[in-house]
Amino acid sequence: MPMRGLLPFLASRLIRAAIALWLVSTVVFVVMRLSGDPVPLLLPPDAPQSEFARVRAELGLDRPLPVQYVVFLGNVLRGDFGQSIHFRQSAFRVVLGYLPATFELGLAAFALALLVALPIGVVSAVKRNSAVDQATMALALVGQSAPTFFIGILLILIVSLNLGLLPTSGREGWHSLILPALTLGAFAMASIARLTRSSVLEVLRADYIRTARAKGVSDVVVVAKHTLKNAAVPIVTITGLQFGTLLGGAVVTETVFAWPGIGRLAIQSIYNRDYPVVQCTVFISAVLFIVINFCVDLLYGLLDPRVRSS
Amino acid sequence: MFVALLVVAALAAPMIAPADPIRQSLRGRLSAPTLSGADGRAHLLGTDHLGRDVLSRVIYGARVSLLVGFAAVIVGGLVGATLGLVAGFRGGWTDSMIMTLADAQLAFPFILLAIGIIAVLGPSFPTLIVVIGLSGWVTYARVLRSQVLVLRSREFVDAIHALGGSVARVITRHVLPNVLSSLVVIATLELARAIVLEATLSFLGLGVQPPTPSWGGMVHEGREYLDSAWWISTAPGIVLMLTSIVVSRTGDWLRDLLDPTLRGE
Amino acid sequence: MTEMTRRDVLKIAAAGAAAALPGLTHSAQAQTTQKRELVVAQGGDIANLDPHLSTSSNDIRISFNIFDNLTSRRPDGKLAPGLATEWKLQGQTAWVFKLRSGVKWHNGDPFTSADVKFSIDRSLDTNLRGNRVNTVLTTVERVETPDPGTAVVHTKKPDPLLPARLGFYGGQIIPKKYVESAGGETFNQKPVGTGPVRFVSWTKDDKIVLEANPDYWGGRVDFDRLTVRALPEMAPRVAALLKGEVDLITQVPPDQGERVKSNPTTTVIGALYGGLYVLAVNSKRPPLDNPLVKQALSLAIDRESIVKELWRGRGVVPNSMIAKGDNHFDASLPPLAFNAGEAKAQLKKAGYKGEEIIIETTAGYLAGDKPMSEAIQAMWRDVGVNSKVEVVEYSVRAQKIREKSFKGLWWSDPTSTLRDPDGMMWRLLGPGGPQDYWRHPEFDELGNAARFSVDEKFRADAYKKMTQLFLEYLPWLPVIQPYEDYGLQKHVEWTPDPLQQLEIRRFNFKFRRA
Repeated sequence: MPMRGLLPFLASRLIRAAIALWLVSTVVFVVMRLSGDPVPLLLPPDAPQSEFARVRAELGLDRPLPVQYVVFLGNVLRGDFGQSIHFRQSAFRVVLGYLPATFELGLAAFALALLVALPIGVVSAVKRNSAVDQATMALALVGQSAPTFFIGILLILIVSLNLGLLPTSGREGWHSLILPALTLGAFAMASIARLTRSSVLEVLRADYIRTARAKGVSDVVVVAKHTLKNAAVPIVTITGLQFGTLLGGAVVTETVFAWPGIGRLAIQSIYNRDYPVVQCTVFISAVLFIVINFCVDLLYGLLDPRVRSS
Repeated sequence: MFVALLVVAALAAPMIAPADPIRQSLRGRLSAPTLSGADGRAHLLGTDHLGRDVLSRVIYGARVSLLVGFAAVIVGGLVGATLGLVAGFRGGWTDSMIMTLADAQLAFPFILLAIGIIAVLGPSFPTLIVVIGLSGWVTYARVLRSQVLVLRSREFVDAIHALGGSVARVITRHVLPNVLSSLVVIATLELARAIVLEATLSFLGLGVQPPTPSWGGMVHEGREYLDSAWWISTAPGIVLMLTSIVVSRTGDWLRDLLDPTLRGE
Repeated sequence: MTEMTRRDVLKIAAAGAAAALPGLTHSAQAQTTQKRELVVAQGGDIANLDPHLSTSSNDIRISFNIFDNLTSRRPDGKLAPGLATEWKLQGQTAWVFKLRSGVKWHNGDPFTSADVKFSIDRSLDTNLRGNRVNTVLTTVERVETPDPGTAVVHTKKPDPLLPARLGFYGGQIIPKKYVESAGGETFNQKPVGTGPVRFVSWTKDDKIVLEANPDYWGGRVDFDRLTVRALPEMAPRVAALLKGEVDLITQVPPDQGERVKSNPTTTVIGALYGGLYVLAVNSKRPPLDNPLVKQALSLAIDRESIVKELWRGRGVVPNSMIAKGDNHFDASLPPLAFNAGEAKAQLKKAGYKGEEIIIETTAGYLAGDKPMSEAIQAMWRDVGVNSKVEVVEYSVRAQKIREKSFKGLWWSDPTSTLRDPDGMMWRLLGPGGPQDYWRHPEFDELGNAARFSVDEKFRADAYKKMTQLFLEYLPWLPVIQPYEDYGLQKHVEWTPDPLQQLEIRRFNFKFRRA
């Protein structure tokens, strides 16, 4: 892409991102307000009407909806998501408190996915149609189509309960991270393994590899040197895309493993009708999604000269 | 094959299932797979925490999965196709609006939106179908829109307009035949996604109401008994996993067969 | 790392010492312990430590150990002296409390009658932001403090239950001087009480650490530290106990109890819950406005099976709206009957035509609520009742309670913190109460009269008559009075309360020492 095309491109991406964020915020606002009232959860059932009115006013819920909406949008623009109804502190700070756990889980999931999937993909390609290849590709198929929650349940059943190896849930130390990370990373792991395999196969078929092989350079070196570089493009893309949908997967994984991250926080907050926390969580994850996708696009352009020139 | 088997199982559930899926026997609860349970019946996949036959519930569960899955695909397909066609034909502002909507939807952690909407409407079949259906409209819309744009660039549409042809005619004669195979592929892949999404929502406790069995709901109910009665969760879970694998494989296969251009996307 | 820190050296020395100790076999450790720390895991995090701001069981499990009340409800249900050593009624409306002398707050300040007056006044203060206990002591008119060792509580009308009311939440005594000087916010984060443990630290969503109060008037508890962790999911809570990571866990479901018991080092201990699990009825909605229909529904519930199979025997079948162990519980009444044939006959007599009867249940808000709903639905189907189970979130339930908009039946766990029918069924079912869906003039008259009578004989008669009316009209369908089960290491000796306060004091707790 020539430089003068870049600015308008960036501008249009930014505008679309801003509109998408506005839409997302509005939808959450409307859905949450329709979903019910947080006040009965805060007071005993026999509290007098006056008490309800007082708490409602305290939370700003007594004002007409359009007014609440305008106040909400204004505050969001200033980066203020309001006070959490449940935690009685700034919603943003609440979410920030839960964010590290989710990042930790996400990073571990992708590190694990790459660490396992890349070697497996390469080996499968090199040893094409061997038993190893077929077994791993079958497993990859499972990883790609099985529901996240069931992968989690199976891992708990087999690894924690039957083998007694790792904790069933919670977040205490690195060993409690492994199962949730595997669960969350399963889909990416499977996709990356399959992609690596097909990219490597394609490269292996190319002439220069055959030449190298003919010269007697060992398989491993050949593969390492030439193929991974070429296979990197699609792998980066899929990694980025997967990372973008992290929160969706995290909601389920964190629920299965009682992992104290923002996915679980979001669900709890919906159940608690804690509007500000839900709004803040969704907003932050939408921003992350958009930023990551954008980075992936840029990275893609950098890695693949063909994309840049076209 | 497997899909056909499932459809048959779902349709003929009352004939195949060894027991009534909602019939309880508190005395025979949490029975391991057995040929003669406390109630004198065979429970090939054991019983659950209320003494219901797990095998029968898995068979009946196919009804929920397939019904919600197919209906959601139809809803998503109709909405997506309509929006895609509108975006393509109208172009300009309408087009940008629809495409921005698609962006927004993709940026939204969908499962949270689904939970929110179900919290508003209450869990029921129609709610599930609409929520899951709407989660998948974007792909259809994009395919149809780009096909329309291709035609427009060939000035097909203008020519036909000039000749007095109706838009409907353009769609049925020129747009649909070109995208039909892509749509079939997308619909199949969407079916797998819809089935998994329904199970996931049921797993989170937001699916169909008891005592109707659904696979995700059964996995959820069995969670508490993973260490003592593993069959409650694993039986429906494995069937669900197989279904998902087979349906999405069928999608991949159809794609390779019908539409080589989509390959590797 | 090249340099060894001092701490490392100490650690190695300690390890060597332990290795050198002979005869400390594993099995001996399982039954007795040298532990100086008691670790408890409960189902949720603490929200507030200020006892006036919360009635949540996760909070009171802590606050009942940091603070004392004037009176103390013992596990056997009897009222024992607390910060008051004796009390008596003067005339009809004045309760005189003699206070324990020489008691000190955790910060060293002396405890006096001024603290008592301050605490009761504050509990009633509706301007106190977040006050959740302002309805507990509403019978109180004013508190007088003739001298530092005496407090006189005047009630608006005769209140026979006042000493009992002061024994539970709302009645905890807090330090006037500290609260006034430090402010409510600080008090809520760093509480000071007179109880057996002192506050040390609190990490949100993780744990709270407390230490033994060496000068406790009831005797020092046999540990140095008490740590309470939040483990919301049942499976990890049980696993932590089985692995020996914690000494005591709350809320053990019956299906898990067997596992805890079969493990050689752990066991289950339960207290019959001081309340009932009932299906509350919206008696205004046809066909539930017809008492015959409700009688049929009640007769069709096989409570024996629910208790024996679903709860694995961890509960009893109720016989009325009064819980076993509460005042005026009538042991001569038979448990609520199951008779499918009679249920069908009643339905016929009532002219029931298959109208839909809806149970709106939560999933896990009360232990076993959803499975019990499904089991009862099946039992009702067997007698020809067309019923439906709808799962609602707890926030929806709260809203429906507020709006009184239930479609049929819903789960409720009426409990009296006073162990008295007044605080339990009359509080909920009385006119204007949260479950006011059914009225009967005689029932209302008796309930009101019993509330304000100090004549226990008269009250007994009143509740007897009310029970008869209740069983005819069934504004609730009582289902089970369950056990509240705790899991513990066998090296812990502890007696739980029928309510959920998890008191840990010398009279009910000790570590088994070798």
